[in-house]
Amino acid sequence: MARTSSEWAKAPNLPESHYVDTRIYTDEDLFLEEQAKIFNKVWVIACHESEIPEPFDYRTFRHPGGENLIITRGEDRKVRAFYNICPHRGNTILYDPSGNTKRMTCIFHAWSFDTKGECVEIPRESEGYQDRFDKSDASLREVKCDVGFGGFVWVNIDDNCGTLKEYVGDALGLLEESLQPEMEVFHYHKAVVNTNYKLWHDTNSEFYHDYMHYFNRITGMMQPGYFDRKYTGYKNGHASVGSMAVKYDAYAGSEDRGVGWPGLAPGGWLLIDLFPGMTYNLRTSVLRVDTIMPLGPNKVIIEFRGLGLKSDTPAERAERIRDHNAIWGPFGRNLHEDLLGVHGQGLAMRDARTDSHYVLHGREENSTIHDEGGMRHFYAEWSRRMGRLASDPERSPKAEAA
Amino acid sequence: MSHRESIEELIYESGARLDERDFKGYLDLCEDGYEYTIEAYSPEIRKDMIWLHHDKAGMDLLFKNLPKHNSDHSTLMRHLTVYKVDVDEAAGEANVVSGLQVFRTELDGGTTELYAVGKQHDTIKLNGGTPKLGNRKIRLETRNLGIGHHVPF
Ligand code: FES
Ligand SMILES: [Fe+2]
Repeated sequence: MARTSSEWAKAPNLPESHYVDTRIYTDEDLFLEEQAKIFNKVWVIACHESEIPEPFDYRTFRHPGGENLIITRGEDRKVRAFYNICPHRGNTILYDPSGNTKRMTCIFHAWSFDTKGECVEIPRESEGYQDRFDKSDASLREVKCDVGFGGFVWVNIDDNCGTLKEYVGDALGLLEESLQPEMEVFHYHKAVVNTNYKLWHDTNSEFYHDYMHYFNRITGMMQPGYFDRKYTGYKNGHASVGSMAVKYDAYAGSEDRGVGWPGLAPGGWLLIDLFPGMTYNLRTSVLRVDTIMPLGPNKVIIEFRGLGLKSDTPAERAERIRDHNAIWGPFGRNLHEDLLGVHGQGLAMRDARTDSHYVLHGREENSTIHDEGGMRHFYAEWSRRMGRLASDPERSPKAEAA
Repeated sequence: MSHRESIEELIYESGARLDERDFKGYLDLCEDGYEYTIEAYSPEIRKDMIWLHHDKAGMDLLFKNLPKHNSDHSTLMRHLTVYKVDVDEAAGEANVVSGLQVFRTELDGGTTELYAVGKQHDTIKLNGGTPKLGNRKIRLETRNLGIGHHVPF
C-alpha cells in the first residue's frame, strides 16, 4: 500500500547506519559546516603534475572548502600552493586557469610575488609605507601541498594536518602498480550540476546502478565474475571495489582492446573512492579521476580528468582517447547516464520543501558488488567528522555511543 | 544551383535532420568515408582534446543504440551560419566553415537555453551536382555541457 504523510516521514525499518536523512543534501547550514569540518581539514586533489610540467607553470584551483588557490612550480621544481588573494586590496592575483609566470603580479597596483609566495615588489613602497610596513609583511598565505599517488597535486588547508600518506593510508593499494608509470592528463572537463556533491560520490561508490547503464549491463552484469567483485573499506572513509573481467566485445563497437594499463588485467576494472569526493576509476586503457567542488547544498562542479601514460605512442594515445570517449566525457554513453541520475536526485530532493526524508543504503550482499556498504562506510566517516549522525543530523554519534 | 547554394543547403539540411532526430536521413547526406569529430581546447591542461570521433558505421551504431540508453530528453536545435566556402574544383571538394550554436529546450515547460557554441569545419565532396558530407569537425568553444548529451551536435 502506498504511504500516508506520517508513514512517509517515518524512519526506515533498517539500522540507522543503513539510511541517511536527506537534510544532509539540502541544508545550507550543514553545507557550510561540511566546508569547515571536512573540506578544510582533509587532503584534496588540486590538479595533476603534468598540468604544470615546467618551472613557473601555474594552475588556479577552486578549493572545495571555498578558498581560491594558486598551484605553481618553482624554479627549484617544487610545487607549492597559495591563496589566490592579493594581500593588498584583495584582488585575484592570477585570473587564468593556467599559465607560466616567473613573477605573479597583481594587475591592480602591481604588487608582485615569486613562486615561493614572497612579495618581491611593492611600487613606491617606502614613499607610501616609510618604515612602517614592507614586503616581508605582504607575503602570500601558503597552503600545505604534496605530490603523490599517480603524480597528483594534493593540498590541505589545515596547517596542522597529518601527512598525505597518512590520510590516504592503504586505500590506493589495489592501484599501487598501476600508478607507478608517469602519467599525463589528456581529457579535462567540468560539469556544473544541480545536485549535492555527496550524491555524486555515492554514485561513484555503488554499482547497483549498473542497471542504469546499458553498456555496463551487457559488458559487466551479464558476465561471469561480476557479482564476485568486493568492496573494501579503509580508514578515513575511503573504499575500493576489486576487479572483474569486463567483456567489452559484448557492446558492438567496443571490441579490440589492446593497449591496457600496467597492473590492470585485460578487461579489469578497479575503482577507488577517497573521502570526501575523489574517485580513481581505472578501466579499459584509461584512468579517470573525478574531483568535486561543491558550490552549495544543491550545486556542484565536478571535474573529470582522463589520463594516459606519458610514454604513449600517438597510436596508443588515440586508443585511450577512443576508449575514454566511448563511455566518458560529455558525449560518453555512461557519464551522461550517471549525471542524469544525480541531476534527477537534485531535482527530487532540492530543498526541504520537496518533503523528501530518507535515502536508503540498506543492501547487504556480503560486501559484493551490489552491497551498499561503500556508501555506509562513507557516511560513518561523515558522521564522525561532522559530529552528527547522517541518519539524523540533529543527534551526535558520541551521544549515541555514551 | 551554384556550388555555394547547394553546399549551404547541405549544411543546413544536415543540422535540420539531426534536430528532427532523422538519423538515417542525416547519414544519407554523408559519404561512405564520412568521419565526425567533436574537439575542444582545454586551457586548464593546455591541450586539444577529442570528445567524440566516429566513422559512418560508428555514427550509425551510436544512433541505433540510443533507445537502449537512458538519456536526457530535452531537444536540441542547431543554428548554423555558413561563414566561408572554399571550393577546390580540381579536387572535387569544398571546405566550409560555419558558426554553430546549439540550443537546448527542456521537455517540461519548453525553456530554451543556449547550450553550446563553436565552429563547424566541413569537407564536402562535390559529386557533380549532389554534394555530400565527407568530414565534419566541430570545434567547441563551450566546455561546460552540464550533464552532457548522447546525441552528437
Ligand atoms: S590589490 Fe593587488 S596590488 Fe593592490
Ligand atoms: Fe555509473
